[in-house]
Amino acid sequence: MQNLRVAVDVGGTFTDICIMDETTGLIRVEKTSSSADPIDGIMTGVEKAGIDLSKVALFSHGTTVATNALITRRLPRTAMVCTRGFRDVIEIRRANKEDLWDTYKDVVPPYVPRRDRLVVSERVDAQGGIVATLDEDEAREVARILKRRNVAAVAVCFMNAFMNGANERRMKEILMEVMPGVPVSTSSEVLPEIFEHERFSTTVANAALSPVVVDYTSRLGKRLQQDGYERDLLLLHTGGGVMTPKSVEDFAARLAGSGIAAGAIASKYIAELCGFRNSIGLDMGGTSTDVSLAYDGQSRITKDWFIEFGYPIRFSSIEVLTIGAGGGSLAWTDEAGSLRNGPQSAGANPGPACYAKGNRQPTNTDANVVLGRLGTSLAGGKITLDADLALQAVREGVAEPFGLEPHAAADAIIRVANANMSDAVRLISISRGYDPRDFALVAFGGAGALHGAAIARELAIPAVIVPPNPGVTSALGCLLVDMQHDFSESYLKAAADADATAIEEAFLRLEQEASERLAHEGVASKDVVLQRSIDMMYLGQWRSLAVAAPSPVVDIAPLVEAFHREHQREYNFRRDETPVSLFRINLKAVGMVPKASLAKHEPTGLTPEPKTRRDVWFAADSAVETPVYDREALPAGFVFKGPAIVEQLDSTVVVPPGTTAEVDTYLNIIIRIEGEANV
Amino acid sequence: MSEQQNLDPVTFEVLKNSFITSVDQMAEQILRTCYSFVIYNRDFSSALHDAEGNSAAQGNQDIAVHVGTLHFTCKDVIRAFEGDMHPGDVYAINDPYAGGTHFNDVRLIRPIFVDGRIIAFSQSNGHWSDLGGSVPGSFDVAAKEMFKEGMRITPIRLFDKGRFCKDVAHLIASNTRDPASIIGDIHAQAQATQVCEREILRLVGKYGEGTVKQGLGAVQDYVERAMRQRIAALPDGEWETQDFIDRDPAGNEGMIPIKVKLTIKGDRAIYDFTGSHPTIGSIYNSAFGATFSAVAAGMKTFFPDLPLNSGFYRVFEIVAPEGSIVDAKWPVAVTGFLMPFEKIMNAIYEIWSKIIPERAIACAFNLEYLLTGGRDARAPEKPIFMFYDWLPGGWGGRNGMDGCNVTTACFGTGLMAQPVEGQERANPILTTEFEVLTDSAGPGKWRGGAGVMKTSRMLEAENTVISYICDRERAIVWGIEGGLPSMPHGLTLTREKTGRKEWLGATFSDVAIEAGDVFSRPTAGGGGFGDPLERDPQRVLADVIDDYVSVGRAAKDYGVVIDPVDPEICAYEIDAKATAELRRQIRSERMGWLETDPAEISERFKAGEIDALDAVRRHAVILDWDTGDLLPVSTEQFRDMYRKRSAAGWQ
Repeated sequence: MQNLRVAVDVGGTFTDICIMDETTGLIRVEKTSSSADPIDGIMTGVEKAGIDLSKVALFSHGTTVATNALITRRLPRTAMVCTRGFRDVIEIRRANKEDLWDTYKDVVPPYVPRRDRLVVSERVDAQGGIVATLDEDEAREVARILKRRNVAAVAVCFMNAFMNGANERRMKEILMEVMPGVPVSTSSEVLPEIFEHERFSTTVANAALSPVVVDYTSRLGKRLQQDGYERDLLLLHTGGGVMTPKSVEDFAARLAGSGIAAGAIASKYIAELCGFRNSIGLDMGGTSTDVSLAYDGQSRITKDWFIEFGYPIRFSSIEVLTIGAGGGSLAWTDEAGSLRNGPQSAGANPGPACYAKGNRQPTNTDANVVLGRLGTSLAGGKITLDADLALQAVREGVAEPFGLEPHAAADAIIRVANANMSDAVRLISISRGYDPRDFALVAFGGAGALHGAAIARELAIPAVIVPPNPGVTSALGCLLVDMQHDFSESYLKAAADADATAIEEAFLRLEQEASERLAHEGVASKDVVLQRSIDMMYLGQWRSLAVAAPSPVVDIAPLVEAFHREHQREYNFRRDETPVSLFRINLKAVGMVPKASLAKHEPTGLTPEPKTRRDVWFAADSAVETPVYDREALPAGFVFKGPAIVEQLDSTVVVPPGTTAEVDTYLNIIIRIEGEANV
Repeated sequence: MSEQQNLDPVTFEVLKNSFITSVDQMAEQILRTCYSFVIYNRDFSSALHDAEGNSAAQGNQDIAVHVGTLHFTCKDVIRAFEGDMHPGDVYAINDPYAGGTHFNDVRLIRPIFVDGRIIAFSQSNGHWSDLGGSVPGSFDVAAKEMFKEGMRITPIRLFDKGRFCKDVAHLIASNTRDPASIIGDIHAQAQATQVCEREILRLVGKYGEGTVKQGLGAVQDYVERAMRQRIAALPDGEWETQDFIDRDPAGNEGMIPIKVKLTIKGDRAIYDFTGSHPTIGSIYNSAFGATFSAVAAGMKTFFPDLPLNSGFYRVFEIVAPEGSIVDAKWPVAVTGFLMPFEKIMNAIYEIWSKIIPERAIACAFNLEYLLTGGRDARAPEKPIFMFYDWLPGGWGGRNGMDGCNVTTACFGTGLMAQPVEGQERANPILTTEFEVLTDSAGPGKWRGGAGVMKTSRMLEAENTVISYICDRERAIVWGIEGGLPSMPHGLTLTREKTGRKEWLGATFSDVAIEAGDVFSRPTAGGGGFGDPLERDPQRVLADVIDDYVSVGRAAKDYGVVIDPVDPEICAYEIDAKATAELRRQIRSERMGWLETDPAEISERFKAGEIDALDAVRRHAVILDWDTGDLLPVSTEQFRDMYRKRSAAGWQ
């Protein structure tokens, strides 16, 4: 019987494997070190976990292979064929810089160097009319040269091709004829949307990644198959769904950023299990924290993102805000005497001072040790932290320069870190028109549960959820996804001129394409869910807002009203007298993967004893003797009041004074924040 | 210093970061709701001020050119409305003579009240697409006084206790070419200032009014303290240089000097502009506010990590002779203030490159604006169109790094280039070329970044005129430490009817054009850093393979001889022996090239024996690039600086 579901999240340091037994709903987790070839780490982990692959019904995977290939530029030689006169669109970009003031900090170079960007004569105008058909002699000449250069992939990027892709298609045919087997991405197929740099940049990333990810997925697929796995390998993409290797061939760049989405998906799922449709995910690791937001059961989606500044990948992506604050972030004093926290980090090596590997500067982890919030024996005794070194670092780095007691200094370090993370949460919530009081905070990652309650209090978030395995929550995210593809078409018209019939036809076109792709991936039509939306704006505005669209679209007026409402919610004003225009038609196509339910645990009514008690500082001035629980000993239904500390293999949960915690039937700890909070 | 001592370190750090977050939230909101495409492409800024109008925080991504001007306009608004300000009020101002930049930059300012007391102001500043005046976009190069330029807004009330003053707003909007967008931007900006208010009131709720007020002062003291420490750590001394505007259209041939002398004394910096030319007969003048901003922005480039606020502005002083090109008074036209602005910035780059050599940088290309407006005859109703474009170019070579290719002008590194596909939808224009321009970079051991060429053809249009705002057709982008200049700026128009190419140069206004006419605009590369003969031949080779540098100029500028073995597969080889010989030869002859009679260079240029790059880079001669006639005064000025910046750096 195939009753196992396996999800693998490969990160820089660890490969996490999450195994779920469909019959019991029980989950277990295997953590191994990542390897140079990620596939080795995965197979080692599978073996260590004792997984019989022939019993696996679903194997899903979040991978950093695409992201790393882009960042390290370990890409196969990729060429670009451009409209004559537009060889440098991806180099000119939008010409801006990430760091406005530092003249010695540059935007990284484009994925295809100038020498491999060739041009042909052709032109389409803004309305889609052919100004010049493709010059086929030139096209063949270019193909011949690229063949001589042995390029491994080609991106065809022509001006206004989103309006008319005929010249691009012809170019692709010629390339495939002259250099069969070399993957060719055209901008009109990859992303039929206006604005050349964004479209070309996405197309180039797609072309360059195609050989990389196809090689990777086919090697992994084979290894899994050899060991008995019979189904399709499923790959997590940034949109928050999975796709099969068949789709990866054509949309390789959807895997860029794959890993980041996993945490956001898990966070949303866990919050819903606990009854919260609105949630903010706080995934705090060693060097950084990822913040995500789900509202009414939907993750926030953005098309405005990149792996490296200047090179947008305009596929729908779950919106994740990353800031440089983690357990290893350094606390330091700048020249003008201000206490700072991050973004520099001691990383995993040498790590915090208490790791005793040579770093003497205090980190958030050291401050947590000094305050007693973090114990000195972690991971079931496998890791021992040196409390004296932590104290020394905090004393020398912060306490002495500011004339503070060491505990006050440690408290100051943590409060600055929490304030920085709270600012990040504000950016993704309050400044998008969401009120944190309507949300639950899901705190995970190795360090999230140490800080979650304090951040929630700062933001007046009423509840904090700590999942059962906070350190491997992202892997769980890979396990909980559906097949998903996103489609779009430009539709540039004023609402007054918009034609409901034409819009309906466009939706039907996209739905046809979506159904075909999902069928190709083996999804039964009964499992297909289609979500329509239209990007709209006030006439004259430059950014659009997505508004859900009905099926069928019969009238424009309700769409316009929905847009006014959404504008009011997000920006706090609406302009009813102003004409509205339509920008883009979007379709999200989901192939539902039947979900197994997580195991439920009946309340036992038992009251576990703390394994120990220790002094913990929750404020700068005094310590409180605090019970320390072992998480594995906490049964469902157990309710306890702060102060308390809960220790587990991969994390430590801080339950501050004035809060109440409860273990729910899925063994999540839900901390209710009480008392006066500051919005 | 004293204020911060009263705040605990955590509260101080939290407030400092929260102030910056509050202005970043304003920026986020304005980007998502604005109407002006200029704002959308990031020509805007946001600030939080203390109750006196001093800047406490500015946005991380704000355009450079607004730096150091927001506190002036806030203070002017306070002067105008003191004693008559109420919660829910929003004021507007765009007055360059009161510390603003130019008319297009309209600032909306909101007082933030706690229990009837003002504790702060929030300000949102954005470049509106049009403010009336004689040409679309409100940039009339021919203007000598402000009356032709656009609408001057001295402090006005746009919201009165929360009520929108429709009458005033419509008066303003009705004097522009795009009234609907102007009203839209007023709402977007007013709303953004409210976002900041909300954040400040949240902080007051949490920390109390006194602490927040204290924090607003303490963050300024903090930046001042950090800056003073860094300046005090530098040796005292005096440094001076000059840069030029091409010409005074109302005066004789000869470039217009802007002189800068920096004195560092203890923990203070004094910038003295004595000796700079009086205001000129065009819009290329700067009022004091803009000059102040140029100094702040130039200097900030060498201290990139510090947050920006009034504490930074307190460490330097400016001496600007009244009525000079850096201190224009009403009603002298100043809409083109960015021309002197960038000259000041680059002069400051040059000076600070001597003081902090590890951050040295040569001159960047000159910003350029193209304005075309008329009737779009593609549609039957022939609507008005405004095609308003700006291009990126090359930045200066650096100490150990080439300059940045194709980057936004230094006055506003946050500004984005526009997508051609968007422009072609909105305007009757077809772009035929928008590419990196080979050989545009100033040669150097570390070359400048490359500029671009953009060529566009007018489609069906009627009553259409074209204006161009640029400079450095003569005051050509220069190198330092032995690096060479890049190339002249200037637009070429090719008439469809006659096929004739007209060199219109870097500055012109209101030239009529017709369907089928083609205009080409190059932007210069950055100036070179260090002697180009010392450039690693392998780097020259890579540049040739990528076509940043041609085989011909690799030899002329770098003395590197490259054999194109099989260009199809990128196979090129360096001829090491010929390279050594050529470099020896250039070394021995180049001082002589600088002494060649400029009249002879003019003749050779006219005869087609040499091109503009030869004239500029080898002979430091400035010509009328259309006729080839010699410009003797400009040449003398240019040669003088070339000797100091380039020749003095050769072994």
